[in-house]
Amino acid sequence: MHNLQFALEGAWKVLLAGLILGAGLPVLFALGIRSLAYGAGGEAEVHESGVTGPTAHPIGTVVGWLCFAIVLLGAVLGIVYVVATGFGYALSFTHVYPTIVKH
Amino acid sequence: MILVLVVVTALGFDFTNGFHDTANAMATSIATRALQPKTAVLLSGALNLVGAFLSVQVALTVTNAVVKIQNSNGTPKPALLVDGGSALLLIVLAGLVGGIVWNLLTWLLGLPSSSSHALFGGLIGATIAGLGWAGVNWNGNGTKLDGVVGKVILPAVLSPVIAGVVAAVGTWLIYKVVVGVAQRFTDNGFRWGQIGSASLVSLAHGTNDAQKTMGVITLALIAAGDWHDTKAIPIWVKICCALAIAAGTYLGGWRIIRTLGKGLVEIAPPQGLAAESASAAVILASSQLGFALSTTHVATGSILGTGVGKPGALVRWRVAGRMVAAWLITLPAAAVVGAVMWWIGHLIGGFAGALVVFVILLGLAGYMYLRSRRKPIDHNNVNDEWDDVPTPAAVPAGAAS
Repeated sequence: MHNLQFALEGAWKVLLAGLILGAGLPVLFALGIRSLAYGAGGEAEVHESGVTGPTAHPIGTVVGWLCFAIVLLGAVLGIVYVVATGFGYALSFTHVYPTIVKH
Repeated sequence: MILVLVVVTALGFDFTNGFHDTANAMATSIATRALQPKTAVLLSGALNLVGAFLSVQVALTVTNAVVKIQNSNGTPKPALLVDGGSALLLIVLAGLVGGIVWNLLTWLLGLPSSSSHALFGGLIGATIAGLGWAGVNWNGNGTKLDGVVGKVILPAVLSPVIAGVVAAVGTWLIYKVVVGVAQRFTDNGFRWGQIGSASLVSLAHGTNDAQKTMGVITLALIAAGDWHDTKAIPIWVKICCALAIAAGTYLGGWRIIRTLGKGLVEIAPPQGLAAESASAAVILASSQLGFALSTTHVATGSILGTGVGKPGALVRWRVAGRMVAAWLITLPAAAVVGAVMWWIGHLIGGFAGALVVFVILLGLAGYMYLRSRRKPIDHNNVNDEWDDVPTPAAVPAGAAS
């Protein structure tokens, strides 16, 4: 049954990483969209028909793009990871911020 | 000469691998119309091509996970090398044929089954036929996740569940977050997110799956004595494999795209983003941790999860059940084909035997292609409503239900 043990050991790590990156980044993306809508105001937000929508809030636009930037950074890390692994390097998180190390 | 057949068959497998798996990355983007169907397959094909070239890591020991035809350093077992390596070549050829036949059959039925399972299944079957039960690496040696159980069965059970949970959580949170934002506004934004996340899945797919075929071809070359370096893959093999998987992806397995994009869950752009992000994250995290898995299982799990996570979404559990049934029989079915092919090739013997196996493959592939023309599904009708259109070429009455 050693295989089952190894698999479960790996599984929870994958689940954790999946939740942070696979669910966390999309949620951040959603927050970005929400902020943009808040920033744009008007038709971007749900409001009663017949009246003008909520006023625009420039701060929302800023926060929105900030969220997108973080998401983009996450995606870029993903690509760097794929490329680095292909060339025999690995992405290391030992220093918290990612660094590329030789295998 | 057998070597030529093996290489051609391996590239054929790579090609079916590509078009079988287009759906994994692109089904959701096509279903939500984030991308035109043709644009989606072009993008995915291009990224698979790039991905395949990025995989310079040697995947020569790919068969070691399931069968014992190689030493741990990648060289073929010496016992199989007598007579120009024909014993090993026949096993590999029969295994590849098993994988292709099963891939084509599931494509005809519109079922997303795992290409890796088909390949491993074919190899296992051919190995059992050729070397007996002991030729298969069932359970590894206890030091790491290995063998049929550790590399194939356990990941197949765990990975869709993990991907499903991640996608469900993501979807649920996304819908919470965007309450109060006009739908047209969110849909536009999420379509961009979908394109990005689907691209990442395509890239990862090219890196992972093209490698397997490269490994198999190089193994065959070494067995035949045409290549000696176990640390590198011949450049022409790399180019051919990359082109084969990209061409397959571009052709697009429209039947499978339809099942994944429209059949399983009615997907809205936020769900598409959640599903593809979950797939990308789980695939990348797993390969980081050396946890082998099938892109197909992950993608399907994610799409199901995103249906579960959206309150009130329609999930067609019957379609899901049929898929799971296909997953369960993929390995044994491909194994049976692989074993039968090995017996045929072995009984006739020599090059004639291999040639007969190859001709049988061409015959079966041609037959299934003709069957598919009766109810074609292509980029024009891939997004038609699931329930209005009878999809039955995809599902002959009584089969698997």
